[in-house]
Amino acid sequence: MSATRLWTLVRLDLTQRVRSVAWYVMLGVFAAILVAVTALSLLSFSYAGGAGAGAGVYSVVVFVVLLLAVLVSPTLSGNAINGDRDAANLAPVQVTLATTAEIVLAKFLAAWLTGLSFAVIAVPFMLVAAVSGGVDPLVVLVSLVVLIVEIAIIAAIGVGLSGIVARPLFSVAVTYLVVAALVIGTPIAFTLGGAAIRTEVTYSSRDYMYDAPGDGTSEPECSPWYTSTSQVPRFDTVWWLLSANPFVILADATPARFDRYGNPDDLFAGFATTVRGAQIPPEDTVTWDACDPNFQPEQPTSEEIYNQTTPSWFVGLAVQLVLAGALLWWGGSRTRTPSRTLPPGTRIA
Amino acid sequence: MDAATDPPGAVAAGIVATGLRRSFGRVEAVRDVSLHARAGAVTGLVGPNGSGKTTLFLMLASLLTPDAGTIRIGDVDPIEQPHAARALLGWMPDSLGTWGALSARETLIVTGRLHDLPKDAAQARADELLELVDLTQLAKAPARVLSRGQKQRLGLARALVHDPRVLLLDEPASGLDPAARVELRHLLRRFAAEGRTVLVSSHVLAELEEVIDDAVFLLEGSSVDSGAAIAARRTRDWRIRLLGQPTDAAASVAAALEWPADAVRVDRSDVLIPLATDEDAAGALRRLVERGIPVTEFAPAVGDLEQTFLDLRGGEGA
Repeated sequence: MSATRLWTLVRLDLTQRVRSVAWYVMLGVFAAILVAVTALSLLSFSYAGGAGAGAGVYSVVVFVVLLLAVLVSPTLSGNAINGDRDAANLAPVQVTLATTAEIVLAKFLAAWLTGLSFAVIAVPFMLVAAVSGGVDPLVVLVSLVVLIVEIAIIAAIGVGLSGIVARPLFSVAVTYLVVAALVIGTPIAFTLGGAAIRTEVTYSSRDYMYDAPGDGTSEPECSPWYTSTSQVPRFDTVWWLLSANPFVILADATPARFDRYGNPDDLFAGFATTVRGAQIPPEDTVTWDACDPNFQPEQPTSEEIYNQTTPSWFVGLAVQLVLAGALLWWGGSRTRTPSRTLPPGTRIA
Repeated sequence: MDAATDPPGAVAAGIVATGLRRSFGRVEAVRDVSLHARAGAVTGLVGPNGSGKTTLFLMLASLLTPDAGTIRIGDVDPIEQPHAARALLGWMPDSLGTWGALSARETLIVTGRLHDLPKDAAQARADELLELVDLTQLAKAPARVLSRGQKQRLGLARALVHDPRVLLLDEPASGLDPAARVELRHLLRRFAAEGRTVLVSSHVLAELEEVIDDAVFLLEGSSVDSGAAIAARRTRDWRIRLLGQPTDAAASVAAALEWPADAVRVDRSDVLIPLATDEDAAGALRRLVERGIPVTEFAPAVGDLEQTFLDLRGGEGA
């Protein structure tokens, strides 16, 4: 592994991207989206006053950057290796002293850096959010690290698949499918899985009965207990499915901040609470007793839910890292020369 | 060449391949190829489309593993030690990609850097090569605006960046204009004179003939010994042109040779006669001159290489 050759290859890739007009158009569109998102979220978080608004806007901007990275990264990385092969640009590099590991790693680094340029465009917007106040530096640090790692994971998946699948168009599509499986597939599996596994819950309730309206003299009486049963989905058995979702990882990994009423300060905490709430199993029996003067229906705050559940982001991140690493390794081994087998229909040059 | 002044890596490195075989699925691209390309000589690889030339080049260039057989570039096995082989090899592929956004000069610098040349050396080498392949004027133009011939020249320069001892050139002349072809021939001769091994394939056999020292014939994935190829040669046509190109040239040639009139063919205003050997040709010429036929030209209708090639194909078809 030679750092000079690696860097030469990374620069070669980046130079070609930077010199295309399409690239600037894409960054321009991205900046325009961020302007709109920041303006709207400043308006929508303005109720929170100075302190909360910054945190809210910041989290929205980071989520949008992740969304854009998820949408765009497969096209940046999904044809890295087979696209070069198609253009007859791979073999001339393979006959130099550059090794297969260097070529594949350089492709990955270039795709990663390209994806990160979206995050760089977002820096001014993050600064705007930070200036509006209320952003915890630790939240900034952790969310940025997770964002950078997620962009790396998608880049690695794309580059790996571009080495495995012969046709560039097809490998971009497969990359999209893998990313979609993580982003959309996990909530679908979660919803369907939870709905498929159901348990019975018994509801018991009683209320006051009033004999005659307007009388006001007779003592209100309690009604007999009314009991019903129904089936509820058991999301607590499938909540772990969501842990491989990039957005869940981002929200779950970032330290949650709540206000003094236990309400989430930003989108990270809100999203993490919603997702983590799925871990709590439903009660077997639910009682509603209006006649008991001490009866208080349980309404845990977001903070309470958050604190009584377990974080799962590291599991999801580990799964993603293993997947990305394995695909990258597989793609690399398919690119090794002198090659023994060729993907069907490929020309090596 | 003076061995004492050469850098240590510059030992003569020929190519020896024996019994190479490679198939892709059911398609046997290369069946049985053995060849020896000497250092200090230009060896031509001749074969029809689909005869396995490009697959052979890929194996020699350390990109493809043969199913069977061995390759030595000097004393390096490109399959076992691809890294060492790549330092020796300069390969110019038949389908040539260019980094469209990079200029010709940048392309050569990047290639040099990938061959571990220091930055300054890579830049100097790029300028030197641009001069060599006559692209200095276009050094700063992005590669996507280059014409096919210019890209071809850039591809040659790219194969030369690391001053390789062995050159594998797959159709280097395609797309070149006549002046550039002449230039290429001079270059190939110069490389051979410098002690390099040059293996070159081309469809333009007449041109190849002027530059090569040895020839390897490839037919349906198998190499044919060029000695056997020449022995396989049957009759070949000789072209005769008479003074003033008279309309009855065929008749007068047939009469002078005492051949039946239909044994002599007419091609435009020239006469073609089939002869088996060079001795027959000398005899026929002597006879024509003795009979007072005013011969201004008497030459093989097609070059040696082309004739051998056509004979081999014809032999295969029969």
